[in-house]
Amino acid sequence: MMLVTTRSPRLAALAMAGSVLVALAACRQDTQDVRGGAQGNVTLPQQQASLAKTTDTTGLPPEGALARVAIGDLAGVGNNTLDAQVANPYANDRASVEVGHEMFVNMNCAACHGYDLKGGMGPDLTDTYWRYGGSPADIYKSIYEGRPQGMPAWGRALPPAVIWKVVSYIQSKGGTYPATLADRGRQGDLGDDADTTSFSTLKGRNNVH
Amino acid sequence: MTVTQRTLAIAALMAATACGAREAPGRGADSTTARTMTTTTSSGDVALPAMASRSAAWLPPGADDGNWKMPSRDYAGTRYSPLAEIDTANVAQLQLAWTFDDGESHYGHEMTPLVANNTMYIVSPFPNRAFALDLTKPGAPVKWKYEPNPSPIAVGKACCDAVNRGAALYEGKLIYNLLDDHTVAVDANTGKELWRTKLANVEDGTTMTMAPLVVDGKVYVGNSGGEMGVAGWLAALDVNTGKELWRAYSVGPDSLVRIGADFKPFYSWMRGKDLGASTWPAEAWKHGAGAVWGWVTYDPELKRIYYGTSNTGPWNAAQRPGLNLWTSAVFARKADNGMATWAYAMTPHNEWDYDAVNENILVDLPIDGQVRKVMVQFNRNGFAYTIDRTTGEVLVARPFGHENWASGIDPKTAMPIVNADKHTVPPGRWVRDICPADVGVKDFEPSAFSPRTGLFYVSVQNICMDYKGREVSYIAGTPYWGAQMTRHVGPGGNYGEFIAFDAATGTKVWGIPEPFLTYSGAMATAGDLAFYGTVDGWLKAVNARTGKVLWSRKLGSGIISAPMAYRGPDGHEYIAIAAGVGGGAMTTSSQPGFPARGSSYYVFTLAKNIPSTAPASPGGEGGAGKQEGGKP
Repeated sequence: MMLVTTRSPRLAALAMAGSVLVALAACRQDTQDVRGGAQGNVTLPQQQASLAKTTDTTGLPPEGALARVAIGDLAGVGNNTLDAQVANPYANDRASVEVGHEMFVNMNCAACHGYDLKGGMGPDLTDTYWRYGGSPADIYKSIYEGRPQGMPAWGRALPPAVIWKVVSYIQSKGGTYPATLADRGRQGDLGDDADTTSFSTLKGRNNVH
Repeated sequence: MTVTQRTLAIAALMAATACGAREAPGRGADSTTARTMTTTTSSGDVALPAMASRSAAWLPPGADDGNWKMPSRDYAGTRYSPLAEIDTANVAQLQLAWTFDDGESHYGHEMTPLVANNTMYIVSPFPNRAFALDLTKPGAPVKWKYEPNPSPIAVGKACCDAVNRGAALYEGKLIYNLLDDHTVAVDANTGKELWRTKLANVEDGTTMTMAPLVVDGKVYVGNSGGEMGVAGWLAALDVNTGKELWRAYSVGPDSLVRIGADFKPFYSWMRGKDLGASTWPAEAWKHGAGAVWGWVTYDPELKRIYYGTSNTGPWNAAQRPGLNLWTSAVFARKADNGMATWAYAMTPHNEWDYDAVNENILVDLPIDGQVRKVMVQFNRNGFAYTIDRTTGEVLVARPFGHENWASGIDPKTAMPIVNADKHTVPPGRWVRDICPADVGVKDFEPSAFSPRTGLFYVSVQNICMDYKGREVSYIAGTPYWGAQMTRHVGPGGNYGEFIAFDAATGTKVWGIPEPFLTYSGAMATAGDLAFYGTVDGWLKAVNARTGKVLWSRKLGSGIISAPMAYRGPDGHEYIAIAAGVGGGAMTTSSQPGFPARGSSYYVFTLAKNIPSTAPASPGGEGGAGKQEGGKP
């Protein structure tokens, strides 16, 4: 793995730590057609040493439960949106928010959604408008599965616990729906009642960090 | 190396390069060059017979004074219309003739409408629908619609809005790029797709937004993705089949860049083997950008194409010590085989996102008493470059708006003299008040040139930034960016200005300050008018000689497209433009009064030419096409 950043001792060390994660990460290999050049110059980000510890899924919602969360509303008579009320086990946990924040920067989320989460190439994550749902489970799924207009699927690259911590960070910015109000949020009926279960009640919306 | 060590290494490299730039006898930058770059010898009152008598070879096949078959109208890129019915005396009588809406108001409208065979052709932003409008019928109804249905993935890979900069008409084909990295050719009479060629993989972060240039059976197209870690390229396709003939990368070894025995850069620091790879840390060029998302122009006498390359990737320059050739540069290439004849990097080791993709307008200008074949580029970095297009010698390089990152361009080496306090390396700290901001003193919005006045008409941006470089890792399909920014208005408090500029001397002739950004293309006409639009939605016509605003109208959204002129079936002159703010103009969207997005096209003519009522049976010929789906 030839890295630009190996000129920096710190980055080189992190890259080596990160190589532990290469298998886990399984970021899609670089298939860009640069003729005559070697392929596969995938660099894994900093801060991956801590990731290796987070592959344990104890205490996390089972993947199967999340798979049943629908992206849109449901046809038919059965009301099956309860699954969207799956709570984030790391919500309101300051250490998790910090890890989520670091991942948000290091996985280049910030480049699209903004270092302030106010949007750019990608949507604003603080404004309570969610194209694919704004409950913690919805957001987890959007990160895990990716979304059609350019949002990569991180489900292979990041362990579930890390994704939940990124969700914690996004929740800390106050634009999400409370897990318990997922159904109301989906119907556009949240009013001013944004994520009252998170830090937003402690420091005010969009103003935690 | 520590960051500090790296910075020193870069500084040493730059210094060594500058010092070692003694030119070979007979080829070098001589004292004449130095003089022209530091003085403002007047070219006098301009009448340019050489320009006026340009042959039809400078126009696409079938072009005449009343149609407009490519975004810049001619291969030289002048955006000059020889129509003169609308002039300084009667332009105040200009009125709205008709409007059209393409329905794609989510994204910015950066294109130029085309007209040929009494039909107007427009291409929407994503999802890149094409419409042919029948100018022979009242209200110009839709003649056909073409829906290419590009991949929605592309929307999230486009750094700066899902825009499209227009199409080219060539021998009965409408040819343009889709955001998802395909080039398409459509039958201009029927809207039927003739071919579609895949150029890249959108999932890797490559998109395509530029308008193709079509010359002598070849379609020249390039990629976008300077913020996504792409390696930039320009490809030539066969106009009849779409088959790729060759591809010239902006970075990498000479074999990829198509540099061979014909390559003779004017300045010594750009001479050597495989500089597109060796001026980088190992392998870094592979994600070094140099995307080709701007304009391509063509000289039919020299048979050369000219275009610029984008910013260097990532923006965080600490991760790529070296000159980073051939990003932020211009290329001259042989049109037939793509082999480079010269290149010039305007912003080597680019630390500020100053792309060099802006239009290179090919004109003949009197410089120091001698008519020279030049190309003129108003670069994002704030300098207007007048370059001998045969040799690549920089003849004039002077600021055309507010910049403070460089004190000038060295007359011997043509390298920028960077102000020490504006370096963004080392990263991780805020560098305050760098002017211009990343979007430049001018972005892609194309300038115009009038052979009647000898002046260029340019939309100028007065915007600065606070900048913090950040270490970034390459992850395919995500931004390879490495910078954090805030932007603010420059001195004087006006975000925009529309100027007339004498590129023979490097001097501004007049300027019209604008409170909002001027982010539209310009057009000059034989009626001695210059047209431009503003981000707050005003379309303006000004006296091309004096800069006096003679007419203006407020349109439905901000204007970032480019105006064009055509002769309608009734024999009269019409002016067309799109209003749909977006793109880089959204960097100022928090400015009070900033308009909403839009997707409308406006066509104006003199009031006397507009029927007072529509005929009894105005007919659209929508045909039995499929209904609109629920697609976003």
